[in-house]
Amino acid sequence: MKRIVYFLFLASAIFSSCEDVINPQLESAEPVLVIDAWINNLPDSQKVILTRTQPYFQNIFPPAVSGATVTITDQNGTIFTFLEDKPGEYVWVPSGNDVFGTLGLNYTLSVQTNGETFVAESRMGRVPVVDSITFFVQEAGQFNDALYQAEFWAKDPIESGDSYWIKFYKNGVQQIKPSEIITAYDAGFSKGGNFNGVEFIPPIRRAINPFDTDENDQLLSPYQVGDSVSVQIHAVTEAAFNFLNEVAIQTDRPGGFSELFSTPLANVSTNIRNTNSNGSKVVGFFNIGAVSGLGRKFNSLDDVTEN
Amino acid sequence: MRFLLFVFLLPVGLFAQNRATLSGYLKDSSNGEVLIGATIYIKSLSTGATTNVYGFYSLTLDPGDYEVTFSYIGYATQVKTVSLTGNVRLDLELLPEGTQLEEVVVSSDREEQGTKSLEMSVNRLDIKTITRIPAFLGEPDLIKSLQQLPGVSTVGEGASGFNVRGGSVGQNLILLDEATVYNSSHLLGFFSVFNPDAVKDVKLYKGAVPAQFGGRISSLLDVRMKEGNNKKHEVSGGIGTIFSRAAVEGPLFDGKGSFIVAGRRSYADILARPFVDILNDGAALNFYDLTGKANYNINDRNRIYLSGYTGRDKFFFDKNQGFSWGNNTGTVRWNKIFNDRLFANFSGIFSKYDYSLQFGENERDNFRWRSSVRNLTFKPAFSYFINTNNELSFGAEANYYSFEPANAYGTSNGNRIDISLPEKYNLETAFYLGNNQKLSQAIAVEYGIRFSHFVGLGAGAQFIYNDTVPGLRKTPIEERTFSSGEKMITYQNFEPRFSIKAELNDQSSIKASYNRMAQYVHLISNTTASNPLDVWTPSTNNIKPELANQYALGYFRDFGKDRMFEFSLEAYYRTTENQIDYIDGADLLINEFLEGDLLTGIGRAYGLEFHLQKKVGKFTGWAAYTLARTELKVDGINRGEWYATRYDQTHNLKLSGFYDINKRWSASANFTFVSGTPATFPTSRYTIQGILIPYNAEDSRNNVRLPAYHRLDLSFRLEGKTMRKNGNPRKNSDYWVFGVYNLYGRRNPFSIYFTQGSERVAVGSPINSEARQLAIIGTVIPSVSYNFKF
Repeated sequence: MKRIVYFLFLASAIFSSCEDVINPQLESAEPVLVIDAWINNLPDSQKVILTRTQPYFQNIFPPAVSGATVTITDQNGTIFTFLEDKPGEYVWVPSGNDVFGTLGLNYTLSVQTNGETFVAESRMGRVPVVDSITFFVQEAGQFNDALYQAEFWAKDPIESGDSYWIKFYKNGVQQIKPSEIITAYDAGFSKGGNFNGVEFIPPIRRAINPFDTDENDQLLSPYQVGDSVSVQIHAVTEAAFNFLNEVAIQTDRPGGFSELFSTPLANVSTNIRNTNSNGSKVVGFFNIGAVSGLGRKFNSLDDVTEN
Repeated sequence: MRFLLFVFLLPVGLFAQNRATLSGYLKDSSNGEVLIGATIYIKSLSTGATTNVYGFYSLTLDPGDYEVTFSYIGYATQVKTVSLTGNVRLDLELLPEGTQLEEVVVSSDREEQGTKSLEMSVNRLDIKTITRIPAFLGEPDLIKSLQQLPGVSTVGEGASGFNVRGGSVGQNLILLDEATVYNSSHLLGFFSVFNPDAVKDVKLYKGAVPAQFGGRISSLLDVRMKEGNNKKHEVSGGIGTIFSRAAVEGPLFDGKGSFIVAGRRSYADILARPFVDILNDGAALNFYDLTGKANYNINDRNRIYLSGYTGRDKFFFDKNQGFSWGNNTGTVRWNKIFNDRLFANFSGIFSKYDYSLQFGENERDNFRWRSSVRNLTFKPAFSYFINTNNELSFGAEANYYSFEPANAYGTSNGNRIDISLPEKYNLETAFYLGNNQKLSQAIAVEYGIRFSHFVGLGAGAQFIYNDTVPGLRKTPIEERTFSSGEKMITYQNFEPRFSIKAELNDQSSIKASYNRMAQYVHLISNTTASNPLDVWTPSTNNIKPELANQYALGYFRDFGKDRMFEFSLEAYYRTTENQIDYIDGADLLINEFLEGDLLTGIGRAYGLEFHLQKKVGKFTGWAAYTLARTELKVDGINRGEWYATRYDQTHNLKLSGFYDINKRWSASANFTFVSGTPATFPTSRYTIQGILIPYNAEDSRNNVRLPAYHRLDLSFRLEGKTMRKNGNPRKNSDYWVFGVYNLYGRRNPFSIYFTQGSERVAVGSPINSEARQLAIIGTVIPSVSYNFKF
């Protein structure tokens, strides 16, 4: 799809389309509770972040929601309590080599604040291991210098119905522009796609490359010799997979002719609900899933393999 | 069957009287093209007829001597005295104006004018007008020209298709010589697929659709191709900014037949090749189309026509990667005059639309996807000219569809996986009966009924979906399979049609109409603009046929010196059922469970259309204004309340003017003003896992309007010299067109979108959000083209 978008850019140039940043008046709205709860089994502290929505053009950190009671309970009744560490950040810290959660168990998140209780369910899914990371190059062309890119190799398990969020890091920093939300249903893009039990399809394998441009709009090489890249595959529930795709649709707006292919702005889904159905609204998502990962350093141009 | 029998017996039994029939074809004397909608008028009886789409007319009268006037806009009127003792066959050729001598000009009775005819809610454009409207990049375009008339709109430049009276793009039936055209656009939506060099007649029914037509609920665009010059060989063409055209036509079999072949190809990529490396690597950005037609007069009662179209758009990044789409159509027609009063046409039609997408630079890793819709149609149509007051039409139509949603495979690291979806087969049949009846000098009615029937045929599977909260994805809970040829689902509808005209006086009339239409195949599209990858899909157990009822009322008036002005005002009201919308995040491509992502609702559209035209003089032109509202109500969208559709435009004003400066120079201008189309804006924002998400607290759809769209285009036309230096007339003719599109360079908004921007967010800083307004055409676009004929 990237290439389509790139091509549409070219087409946009031919027809001299153009864009302006504008400041339209927006309707005002009451703030709504936002729950950001993505829990994994890495040996790190796990976080649930509580904030409130803010006016769309308010370019500051969102207001934190303090003083809430946050717990996650597994299907066997074990309760994990999350304690407020910084305003709005509720943390569970593992002891020793402990990690959060057990594969295949169901978990319930509960958030109590201002006399209301919000709950959500998730199930801890499995992930395949990342076998390797390789590098390849797209030779210099008219619009770019040589582009050194990474590709990860992993094979989706045979039974269908797994879904994943693939995150990647350059030199230890997560790359997370809206265009870099990488999801997979089994080895392909979607449930109906029926790619199952094989290596992730190429556009997914090669999505772990951060594309940026310099001040002259020249495309920069995603990686240079000396950079490191690491990949994490996070198991997500099907609901979370749908959620992430909705988020990508709503946020990845490259503009230009790709606007012809865009869909109307709509609210993304949530799996969190107020136990009082007439109570106040809530947005956000709760997911719990296993993680696998691998990192590699781009040591020299000898690391680049033939296509 | 009984219905058909009745149809056949009715005229024979009731109207066999001792009368005589005058019938024949009317043609253009310069090239032999038949004239559609030309008038035959008998002054002494104040009655007449018009030619049908094949140029045939038939008038049954008491025996006697008559003075008959034959006229057609732009042609010299002819008056003949006909002695009608028995049936008379009179084929006549009219002389185009501009070539005739001064004294032959007879002021026509102008029967063909809007005020007198029964037709309403019809937009008609002749090719001459289309070529004079200032066009984008100087290329005359049929669909863009239609948008200069009331009731027709588009969501913006680059969008495929057009919208009529609040209908969606997929609700227009587009026929090219009776063959369905599934995607009417080239280069996304910048040009339409019709080559003006090969088009003879364009008629858009926005309402009051005759019983003969059905299958879409919004409008019918009936495009008829030229037959080709049967007098002499002719080559015409043009060289423009973005593409070139050429057409060849001429007689066949000593003038008993004729042909035309017309082609176009864009060459932006050819011109750019030296400058853009990737174009040498097999990349392509182009389109072409080829239109051809031939006909042969077997004898004066039988004539056959063969016509076809093929066109394709290609967007390729390199030789293995890209996408392309195209239409192919073919029509075989047999005109048969059974007797002087019974005219028949039998059509066999093939049509196909397909697109394909492919990625992957090597054999081990690639992706190929093809999707298509095909149909085969057989269509017998009869006109029975009972008498001067009644013209009966009846016939049938059978359409066999095959839909191929995805013929696709992907290869990942050498493992090839077939991800194709099963084909779907359908049979749509219809019978119709209609009568066009003059009740008195002033009052005429047209009434008819169409019965349509739709069957889904195996082999295939049906899914039953769970009930869920409207707006959420439904999941299949049961699958039913059917064997080959088995009936999977049946739908049927009666579609009554009615219109009436009452002349108030010689210069004004009022008209009213009602029609009900059913649509069994649907265009699945949830993007801002319709695009070539939209999928056509048939009705199933989960997708019900779309239905529409339309009521229209109109006032028509001619006035001014020589009735130089034509005025019309029409009001319409349309209700629709089983309208399709989509859940948020719907997955429409290669999705076996597509139906689980669809929502259905009802629609309403209403509006006023105003049209004032000056048809004669050095200055001609028109003003068209539409005041309209189009809304949908769908469970699961906008809290279940009515919302304006993306193509709802409150005010739509078009002004077109043409001025002849002198013998060689003429100027044209058009101005467009469209009030802003609806869009959805967020109220708030929130962050999940480092991504900024827009949020609309009220869950609204289309809660705001974009800024208004307005644009002025100009063009100048310079006719080539008609005389040589030595004083002899030139055999060839040519002209130049110099145009400017978007004269004052307005950046008209196509959309406004909300984004956190493409900049990477620095660790530890809040995310910025912004709104961006996109103009597809952001500057003045000049153009020049050269056109010739020899």
